[in-house]
Amino acid sequence: MTSPDGVDARSASVRPLLELEAIRAAYDTIEVLHGVDLAVRPGEVMALLGPNGAGKTTTLSVASGVIVPTGGRVVVAGRDVTGVAPEELSRRGLVTIPEGRGVFPNLTVKENLRMATYAGRPLAEVEAMTYERFERLGHRRNQVVGTMSGGEQQMLAMARGLASDPAVMLLDELSMGLAPLVVKDLYEVVGQIAASGVSILVVEQFARTVLGIATTAAIMSHGRIVAVGPPEEIEEKLSAAYLGGEREANR
Amino acid sequence: MNESPDRVQQFQIEIESMKAKATNGANETRLLVLGVVVSLAGLVLALVGGIGVQQHSNEFNQRSFMATGSFLGIALLIAGAALFIRYSLARYLRFWLIRLIHESHANTDRIVEAIERAAEVPPR
Repeated sequence: MTSPDGVDARSASVRPLLELEAIRAAYDTIEVLHGVDLAVRPGEVMALLGPNGAGKTTTLSVASGVIVPTGGRVVVAGRDVTGVAPEELSRRGLVTIPEGRGVFPNLTVKENLRMATYAGRPLAEVEAMTYERFERLGHRRNQVVGTMSGGEQQMLAMARGLASDPAVMLLDELSMGLAPLVVKDLYEVVGQIAASGVSILVVEQFARTVLGIATTAAIMSHGRIVAVGPPEEIEEKLSAAYLGGEREANR
Repeated sequence: MNESPDRVQQFQIEIESMKAKATNGANETRLLVLGVVVSLAGLVLALVGGIGVQQHSNEFNQRSFMATGSFLGIALLIAGAALFIRYSLARYLRFWLIRLIHESHANTDRIVEAIERAAEVPPR
């Protein structure tokens, strides 16, 4: 059941796991987020879309704790965590897969996975879980990551994120530099992760594939959220947002 | 929409029990500005103290100027400078780290591209 503004009535009553309230953020003196409001509820896949430079990655960086906002609040599981260090949040289950993958290119797959055992999970368990989900990584466990394809590196980044048993996952530009078929495969995995109960906030510039797995979507433009709603509704507004800015998307 | 109540509940408990205080980015900027203001005030006090010592021949007056002017001024100058360095350095190091990561990725992409190009060239 959806309410007139397009939000699922049942999910609207559940307290969000991640909330951004009137977030303002700046790089030195230049403000790039001008009051962003966003909520991700348990089990939800929220797609944050928008053209290049809209402020999507900055929003994600604020949510993960990497950037401290100049205004507004970041609320996780009902608690104000504005300014709390990203490693504190990550240790408790708010995990980020950054743009550009964030893997160690000079280490092997196995060594990269070892880096993910800081949360206390044994390496054998992390490896077993990873190779079960990403078979290709199993074949390449002793290969130096920098020599692997972009898709495989992205799989490794996701595996490393999953190793810390996330409750909320923040994904930044999963499709960056990857072939469409690889992107499709990766989003299938994201769908599986979401089906296992992880709440996901995914930032994407290329919208079509991510809308296929999203339960809610939002469009960002010029540092503001200009539309939020079910994926089908947002898909209709996309071209307007990309080509005509926020006024067109609001129509 | 799927929910995993156990994990969500566990997550909520862990976040609730987290020993960390919420802060705001504006605090960082405020402390940076405070550092500049305090060190400037310290500099002025030290100068006033120094000039006062020069202008008085009476040792008691000189000591008084040294205590309230020079020493306090120098202490404020050091404290303000430390505050400024702490917060400007944190900001600088954050950008530096992001830049390092970005360069590392760019290098990796270049190496991978070179390997792929080399693999495409037929052996002579």
